[in-house]
Amino acid sequence: MELTWGLMIVIYLFTAGLSAGAMVTSNFAFLYGGQEFERVSRFGAYISPFPISLGLGVLLLDLGSPFNFYRLFLTLQVRSPMSYGSWAILFFTFLSVIYLYLWLPENYQVLGLRNPQTWKKRLAKFMPVLSVGVASYTGVLLNAAVRPLWTAPLLPVLFLVSALSTGVASVILIAALSPWQRARHRELHLLTKADAILIILECLIILTMIVMGRTNSLSVSSAFSNLLIGPFAWIFWLLIVGLGLIIPLALELMELKDKIPVKWALPVTISSSFLVLFGGFFVRFVITYAGQWSGWFN
Amino acid sequence: MAVRMGFVIITSRCIDCDACMVACRAENDVPLGNKRNWVKSSGVQGQFPNVKEIFQPGNCMHCEHPPCVKVCPTGASQKRVDGIVIVENSKCIGCKYCIVACPYDARFPNPVTGKADKCTFCWQRLEQGLEPACVQTCLGKSRQAGDLNDPNSIVSKLIAKYPTRQLLKQVGTGPNIYYIDEAVPEIPQGE
Repeated sequence: MELTWGLMIVIYLFTAGLSAGAMVTSNFAFLYGGQEFERVSRFGAYISPFPISLGLGVLLLDLGSPFNFYRLFLTLQVRSPMSYGSWAILFFTFLSVIYLYLWLPENYQVLGLRNPQTWKKRLAKFMPVLSVGVASYTGVLLNAAVRPLWTAPLLPVLFLVSALSTGVASVILIAALSPWQRARHRELHLLTKADAILIILECLIILTMIVMGRTNSLSVSSAFSNLLIGPFAWIFWLLIVGLGLIIPLALELMELKDKIPVKWALPVTISSSFLVLFGGFFVRFVITYAGQWSGWFN
Repeated sequence: MAVRMGFVIITSRCIDCDACMVACRAENDVPLGNKRNWVKSSGVQGQFPNVKEIFQPGNCMHCEHPPCVKVCPTGASQKRVDGIVIVENSKCIGCKYCIVACPYDARFPNPVTGKADKCTFCWQRLEQGLEPACVQTCLGKSRQAGDLNDPNSIVSKLIAKYPTRQLLKQVGTGPNIYYIDEAVPEIPQGE
């Protein structure tokens, strides 16, 4: 089986989820965290536009006729997830740039909007809806291409949870790495808790998907065995389950219980959040590649 | 009844000469390294001396419910009123969604045009009253094409007379290629 959708698509699926997750993190921190979580919302807002812009760039490069891409925006094909997805990511990217602008220090806000705080609040209330759309439609996108692995109905949910998890992790990572305004312990504690819950949720979803897949038709079942024992097994078990889920979860749980010595706290925070991003990338990788690897049995 | 164009392929008459693939390439300028139609082999089956090998030619199934048309984000992939599934090149952006969505792998990214490419049922020949190139060239008369809804067509007569099978019917695409594995001594006359 030849691969039609390669690394570019994987990068896009990952970056779109990452941006959406960072956006939701920022929005919730702003709406419910108040002054105390200001830095979290700021970091989320600063991260959000960039990954998806990179993703859109590689997506454009992956097109056979890149100069024809405007055709996407001359129509809305309601039965094509890619069609409404394109509109969604267009609006998301546009609004995420505006959101970032509203989070800039006041002397950089040269356009002089009259009441930026109101707009910020409005956007923070609307963006989670759009973000959930951006993060989960990629699962529907694969659902619609009738391939055995991609028919898994939980795929959009998996992508959504993985997106939120990587989004939170990216905020943790940037907060921990940034030399100034290093996030305070309480903020990191809450973010880490949220991420740990999301990782547990992701594990449960993956487990459910496997059980559902293995009890499905022969085509679907063997598509899943490509993941579990076949050519993609080492990526699945080592890079996703091991490095991407179990180890960061263990590290995060230790952080939450304050089992990490102080001098190790920063490296552990950095590595656990990096591993979540790493695992999130390979979730998209394995689904994209293994999905094309397996076809239907006659 | 509406026209429903489709193929009947008689595997027992295919000798794997691949002339259909050559004819298609010549007629449609298909770039080397890609193909719009194919002949697949079952491999040698059974034990010597009772061995057999079945050849199964194929191309786009011009499905009743084509996933490629459904997923197309720009409306470039279309099903014509006569049932032929085509790509309107000017609308195609080359996203390759239709290519991954086709369970028969009947489409490919054309490296010359940058568009999704596939069997067009040789509609340019149909307009001149000719058969598709692969059908016309088939020396075993294994490939037959016509209106599946017209009871007087060769394809309908063959389907009425012999047991047929379709590929991946369970996927729900409603493929419009009917395969006959039995020996067909004579091809019926038809329109």
